Amino acid sequence: MAYSDKVVDHYNHPRNVGTLDKSAAEVGTGLVGAPECGDVMRLQIRVNPETNVIEDAKFKTFGCGSAIASSSLATEWVKGKTIDEALAITNTDIVKELALPPVKIHCSVLAEDAIRAAIGDWKKKNNVAETASVAVAH
Amino acid sequence: MDYFSFFDLPRKLTLDVAALEKQFYVLSRKLHPDRFASKPVAEQEAALAQSSLLNDAYRTLKDPILRTQYLLTLEGVELEEQSKAATDAARASGEQKKQIVPPELLEEVFELNMQLQEMRAANQMGEDEPELRRDLMTAKDSFDAKMVETQAELEGLWSAWDSGVDAGDEEAKLRARDAMVVLLNKRSYLRNLVRDVNEALGR
Repeated sequence: MAYSDKVVDHYNHPRNVGTLDKSAAEVGTGLVGAPECGDVMRLQIRVNPETNVIEDAKFKTFGCGSAIASSSLATEWVKGKTIDEALAITNTDIVKELALPPVKIHCSVLAEDAIRAAIGDWKKKNNVAETASVAVAH
Repeated sequence: MDYFSFFDLPRKLTLDVAALEKQFYVLSRKLHPDRFASKPVAEQEAALAQSSLLNDAYRTLKDPILRTQYLLTLEGVELEEQSKAATDAARASGEQKKQIVPPELLEEVFELNMQLQEMRAANQMGEDEPELRRDLMTAKDSFDAKMVETQAELEGLWSAWDSGVDAGDEEAKLRARDAMVVLLNKRSYLRNLVRDVNEALGR
């Protein structure tokens, strides 16, 4: 199976690989996995408490090229967005951007799960209520 | 036709593999191409199709993990579809999706992958990291032990499933089915880890 150019690019030059301080109040960490292929993905965000804007994002993924590309893209996309805007990112957006084939859709689902888990962790730390946010058109 | 019915078996998981093997050989002989050499082409082809079904069915049912996975598929388990649906539901409700893999296991898998990466980097530089190697060996032993535990747990769930079938208890069957899904997921992580550790240790 051939990977798309964008997947190859993210795979060869992953954006935002790294670690943020897990114990910091403004950092949210999401650790998710896809057991079908044994992938694990950790995505972290640092949120500005005044503006709710995600100012930094880092990831570390052990998995296939598509999983790495999906999480790399996810960190690029969430940076500069508010929490609510980031929650509007869907796996379908990732599939489209990276031209993922059907057998790799689960990688994009994993990346969306990682964003949500990181935001969920941040909300829990900062006592932000879990409310259904209206999906913003983008 | 599903593989269980092919062998005239109930959809149960505890299975007499020796009896299955015997039956496989009986049927293999019956379907052997030599016996159809003088028969019309249509009959030859039908026998060939049956024979290939026989091989698939035997290979799947004799293996405990393949057998369990196959049964789960027959029982409507579609892991990827279900995971995607759960993500869609989380997005719509704003609630957290429940991860199918226990968080502690994910943590462990993640940490071990970090160590593996370090080990590989050291290997590439032609260096040995005795301490890291020791840690990985310890981890490997613990994962090997967990694989054995998983096998025992799985056999327990087979019994639960089989009694559910015998009693016609749909709820008990569902409980056993869902528990098997969780267990097999855990197992695929363990299996990959054992493989990767062996690789990094150069064994």
